[in-house]
Amino acid sequence: MSGVVRKFRPPNRLSMLVKASGGKRVKEALEAADAALEPLRAPSLAILDAALADIEARFGPAAGAGREGEGFQDLYALSLRIIDVAGFLPESSVDQAAVSLCALVDHCAEAGAWRWDAVDVHVHALRLLRGGALEPDQRKAMIEGLNKVSQRRLEEA
Amino acid sequence: MREPLLAAARLNLEKVETLLVDDSVASLNLLAQVLLGFGVKSIARADSARAAQGLLKERTFDLVISATNMAGVDGYELTRWLRRGALEANRYVPVILVSGHTPPSQVFKARDAGANFTVAKPITPRVLLERILWAAREDRQFIECDTYLGPDRRFKNEGPPPGIEGRRRDDLKGELGQPSGVNLSQDQINDMMKPAKVKL
Repeated sequence: MSGVVRKFRPPNRLSMLVKASGGKRVKEALEAADAALEPLRAPSLAILDAALADIEARFGPAAGAGREGEGFQDLYALSLRIIDVAGFLPESSVDQAAVSLCALVDHCAEAGAWRWDAVDVHVHALRLLRGGALEPDQRKAMIEGLNKVSQRRLEEA
Repeated sequence: MREPLLAAARLNLEKVETLLVDDSVASLNLLAQVLLGFGVKSIARADSARAAQGLLKERTFDLVISATNMAGVDGYELTRWLRRGALEANRYVPVILVSGHTPPSQVFKARDAGANFTVAKPITPRVLLERILWAAREDRQFIECDTYLGPDRRFKNEGPPPGIEGRRRDDLKGELGQPSGVNLSQDQINDMMKPAKVKL
């Protein structure tokens, strides 16, 4: 079909099903979803804490010279694990710190070199934010600072 | 402008055949619980894109929600494959990709793979429900060409990128000049776009 562009409107079964009689009101659906999530709160926070502990052990200052051999993809995956379940800490900004860490790891992987000072700042920040003792303006300032750190590329650092 | 969620609006997701794909068990569980809360009764789970491909070759789904970052085949590749290689009945199914890290490059990648929407993790029921309803009310046409099959990516009618000749009949030809004359006031614009009743 070289060069040919076809434009068409396929049937959307989802559209037809959603309009069927019965079902729930949006408000009820959202409340039911919140209630259904509640049993997962404790195991999810355990996953978050385990991922954070893993990051500290393998990529934090305590890891020493051993962290040089760690893979970019591993830290990226651990950060994503935190983001997956961070919805249970909605006001903590933990998810935003983990997103910033993902961006940092992306840049490090592109450059092929770690920026350990920047990684350390993120690891400390994640621990502080998880502790939940910071005021909203402190959390906001911290996330802004992390984003500045993670957006700087190696050549600018 | 897409419609926001209205608390009193009614929806029925009971018979929606849904496929969830994520290699993170925790994330898969969260998504499944949210959908159960929405009233979805039929939820198939796949813990890898390969497992999802097996299901998409055998069963018909009404909605696919997949993670992007997965070991092996990722969510982008899965979506591209789905648009071409799945059962005919699944090729046009709404696909919502969920991702923990959504820089513009990843969102464009999702769009170019043929996904309908991208949702940033952590998942919140409100945002997910809103995207499901957007997918249900999808008014974009599908585009099929050598390099792409999926919802129309040029839904904003911004025309082809600068310097590239448009392939569509309704793409304007020729060079665009610089704007001339002073800007119209908002009232003048309103009069041109939407004539209003006046009292004489």
